Amino acid sequence: MAGLSGCLSGLSSGDSGPQPLELLHAWSNGDGAAAIEALFEGFQEQHPDVELASEGISGAATQNLGSVVNERIRNDDPPSTWQNWPGAALTPYVDSDALDDITDSVWSENDMESAYREGPKEQAKGTTDHFVSVPINIHRINNLFYNKSVVEEAGVDPTSLSSPADVVAACETIATETDAVPFAQQTKGAWSTVQLWATVLLADAGHEGYRNFYEGNPDREAVASALDLVAQLSEYYPSEASTIDFTDANNMVINGDAAFIHQGDWAAGAYPDDFAYGEDWSYVPFPGSDHSYQLNMDSFPYPANNPTPEATKTFLRYCGTKDAQVRFNKAKGSIPPRGDVDPSEFPQFQQDQIEDFGNVDHQPPSIHHGLALDPEQRTNVVEAISAFIGSYNVDSAADEVVSAVQ
Amino acid sequence: MDSVRSWLRRRIDSVRSEQRLRTDGGTASDAVQSETGTGLRRYLDSDAVESAPFWLPAFLLVGLFVYGAIVWNVVISLTDYEGLGDPEYGSFDLENYRLMLQETGSYSFTNAFVNTIVLLVAFTLVCLVFGLVVAILVDRDIRFENTFRTIYLLPMSLSFVVTAKMWLWMYSSNGGFVNRALGVVGIGPVNFIRNPDPNVQLAAIVFALVWQFSGYAMVVYLAGLRAIPDEHFEAARVDGASLVKMYWRVVIPQLRTATVSASVVLMVFGLKAFDFLRALYGNDTPAVGTDILPTYMVRVAFGDASRIAYGSAVAVVLFALAFSIVLPYLYSEYRRGAL
Repeated sequence: MAGLSGCLSGLSSGDSGPQPLELLHAWSNGDGAAAIEALFEGFQEQHPDVELASEGISGAATQNLGSVVNERIRNDDPPSTWQNWPGAALTPYVDSDALDDITDSVWSENDMESAYREGPKEQAKGTTDHFVSVPINIHRINNLFYNKSVVEEAGVDPTSLSSPADVVAACETIATETDAVPFAQQTKGAWSTVQLWATVLLADAGHEGYRNFYEGNPDREAVASALDLVAQLSEYYPSEASTIDFTDANNMVINGDAAFIHQGDWAAGAYPDDFAYGEDWSYVPFPGSDHSYQLNMDSFPYPANNPTPEATKTFLRYCGTKDAQVRFNKAKGSIPPRGDVDPSEFPQFQQDQIEDFGNVDHQPPSIHHGLALDPEQRTNVVEAISAFIGSYNVDSAADEVVSAVQ
Repeated sequence: MDSVRSWLRRRIDSVRSEQRLRTDGGTASDAVQSETGTGLRRYLDSDAVESAPFWLPAFLLVGLFVYGAIVWNVVISLTDYEGLGDPEYGSFDLENYRLMLQETGSYSFTNAFVNTIVLLVAFTLVCLVFGLVVAILVDRDIRFENTFRTIYLLPMSLSFVVTAKMWLWMYSSNGGFVNRALGVVGIGPVNFIRNPDPNVQLAAIVFALVWQFSGYAMVVYLAGLRAIPDEHFEAARVDGASLVKMYWRVVIPQLRTATVSASVVLMVFGLKAFDFLRALYGNDTPAVGTDILPTYMVRVAFGDASRIAYGSAVAVVLFALAFSIVLPYLYSEYRRGAL
């Protein structure tokens, strides 16, 4: 359908004035839909002359969107821009020269180069030495959310935990002291476990060990140690972990049926108003990884052969402004990649995350969410971890994970 | 469009007038034929050419978009096309097919291939046996026969997306029906979806598919049973055959055609289990025991890495597999004169 509408707009462009700016994204519902709506609203306020045609392509997170965009680019009919992870996830586009340099046309405006934080700036370049995309938000991956009344009942103080092994011990205590599930996790899809393993690796092997892994020099011992910790944590998953979704797991924390959940900070976006931050739930950086803010970002790349070059650049410039990032991130539950946004615009949890971001030493990219590994390596890691779920056989999984990035 | 229509009408009229001639007497039309009987004329008047407006457009469209696409797919599988560029048709080799056999790791081609075969065979056999038993039961003049038939067939009308979600609940360790039932006899709860043993993962999928499609086998067998003349049953009874013996010796051998056609359709359903797995696991990486060729193919071809040529090679294997199921069936039908 997208291809068809692309053809039609291509046909009609001859006589009906400028084409609308076409943006493809997968934010079709929930916080994502609200965020993109808020962003469009702000953009249209400032640029009422640019016609905007956005299309939500939902399904399987961003997988369907990716296939549509790839097909459009193969047919030399790219959209104006689309939602994509930056960093190594852009490798295929960079390799086939599908993205143009927007250092001068976009990044030189609105103090973007100086205002963006280092990690996001690095990721915005894809695998090149110039800017090819504009990151719009930052989600943190290495969080450990918890239901306060459950951990208090068990006598566990999450702020005192300092390593993944401490989390395992805390789970043990919760299991013996309460009826609640210690560690809410879904294992139906592999993604939550890939995330968890990557965070445990970051916490257990440190920033150095984590970087060595995604840069292609994995230390098998570090990989195995992280896998072993995940296997230990799996003892404390809900019994029905393999048949539930992330939302079900998150609801267990909300309802007081579970103590901990490791997730990106979108988990907090799902917490209802009567489940208050600070009173009913809180979070710590995943124990052992408080030196890092593990990044997951969305960005808007600038494709070559752009159907609407000027309008797209106008839009990307707008995405780099404070106004755009406040609007989008407030609704999305993420934090702005610009460092000069006034935190008081945001709810308390996001303010704390912004403050955390200022205090960490490292801003490493996430593995599951495409920033750290090119797509082929990423697929290999996801498959290796997916085979690990269930059997929790550390040795064979470690071999596969290591060979996935070599 | 109008001109085509009027031309067709004229053609049809002329065919009719010729037929009228023939009904008057064969000699007259033979004479007409031999008068204008050049090779070209006869060719143009042949049935195939005269009916071309009816079959040719569909033939060309199907030829291009189905068989043409298959051929193109085979060609792409010989290239090394991947990523976002255009395929290069300069050099062809069998590299992709060699890579398939060399793949290591849990999610290898071999794993997907073996899973596919096991799924097809196990699913088809269990469906047939289950369908036959139910068909025999329903055939025994029970009350509410139509109601039961509908109940057994109903799951087949449901979409895979619905049944996948339902089976997630059925297999849940927290109040799921399957684990509740096993709990009564003191087993479990068993983690089916991510069982440590990949074979159990696959068995769980096969069980769910059998639930959905054994109704189809039942309907086919029921039709087969109804086609057997009552005399055969009566004769067996007069000869003193027991119930089991009657079915084993007299009835089941006559269900051969039903078995063959049902198993072909069931195997094709089995190949389509992709939808079910995709809906069940929610993304393109199902559990390792349930990774079948279709899911594997989609993951390599349309996943992030876009290995199109390699995916095409997997598709060719899948095509050969489907072909090897359908071809013997078509041939046997042809031999029996049913085609």
